[in-house]
Amino acid sequence: MSQSRQISVSKNGVPVIAIVALAMIFATGLFVVGFDQGHIFSLVYGEEAFHDIYIHELTHDMRHAAGFPCH
Amino acid sequence: MKTFLFIVIVIASGAAAGLIHGGANLIFVEPSLDQAIGIENQHLFASGEEKDTPEFRAQYDDYRIWQKSGQVFAGVILGVSIGSLFGIVFALSRNSLPGKTDIKKALVLAGIMWLTIYFIPFLKYPANPPTVGNPETIVLREILYLTFIAISGFGAVGFYKLSQKLKTKKIIAIAGYAAFIGIVFVAMPGNPDQITTPMDLVEHFRMMSAFTVSLYWLSLGLILGSLWNHYKPHKEITPSFN
Repeated sequence: MSQSRQISVSKNGVPVIAIVALAMIFATGLFVVGFDQGHIFSLVYGEEAFHDIYIHELTHDMRHAAGFPCH
Repeated sequence: MKTFLFIVIVIASGAAAGLIHGGANLIFVEPSLDQAIGIENQHLFASGEEKDTPEFRAQYDDYRIWQKSGQVFAGVILGVSIGSLFGIVFALSRNSLPGKTDIKKALVLAGIMWLTIYFIPFLKYPANPPTVGNPETIVLREILYLTFIAISGFGAVGFYKLSQKLKTKKIIAIAGYAAFIGIVFVAMPGNPDQITTPMDLVEHFRMMSAFTVSLYWLSLGLILGSLWNHYKPHKEITPSFN
């Protein structure tokens, strides 16, 4: 029995799906640690999340330590 | 390429290096953060916004313990995030990187990425402890920092690609990038915030911050390189016909 499977790869042979998945992890992680001011939790808790800034407070020390702008 | 293995290796090496980063921050950076937040508290007491009571101290201590646990947690998230970018670039550039083993190749790339997307931006916009940043300039500072990192990173890739296309020596690409980033460095506006915090605290914080971030990049290169060397995710899956 023969089975053929097609996976998109870049010209370097790296699967495009892997690049897309890792790029999404990169962007999400960077936003969570470096830039969130309540945006993510506001999707569930609304305006209150911008006041609580839970993720900002949790990642606060790393935000400073890794060199991201903070207040 | 073994897609799943590749992703697992990238995430595992990012998480491990991030754990080292967060752990090192607890030892090296937290004392400066505690000192800076102590100054912030003094400002709160002086302005009458808070009172220096045992209740405040107890609440503050609990809060700081929670934030310090977040340091390690955020270390893993950031580690996986930056590690993912590193994994993508490593996979795409592995064949062009110098070095006979994947450990050497990964260390070379970690060094290049450390320089272009961390250290040069750090020289332009150095890390600051709490009390330094003005909340009103946060968006501007974020835009400036990200823009500089993006210009530096894409600039490095651009000059490398250009030298490949023109078939010139790598040193020409390095010189081109150096001139380019030098101009950008001078042309971009600096951090608008005035520093009123004691400079010895700020400088010690910056040194410790740069040390632990550098430790992260070194760990990331070593761990990803070692895992890649061992598991060889770039090798094609050999089809078996039964």
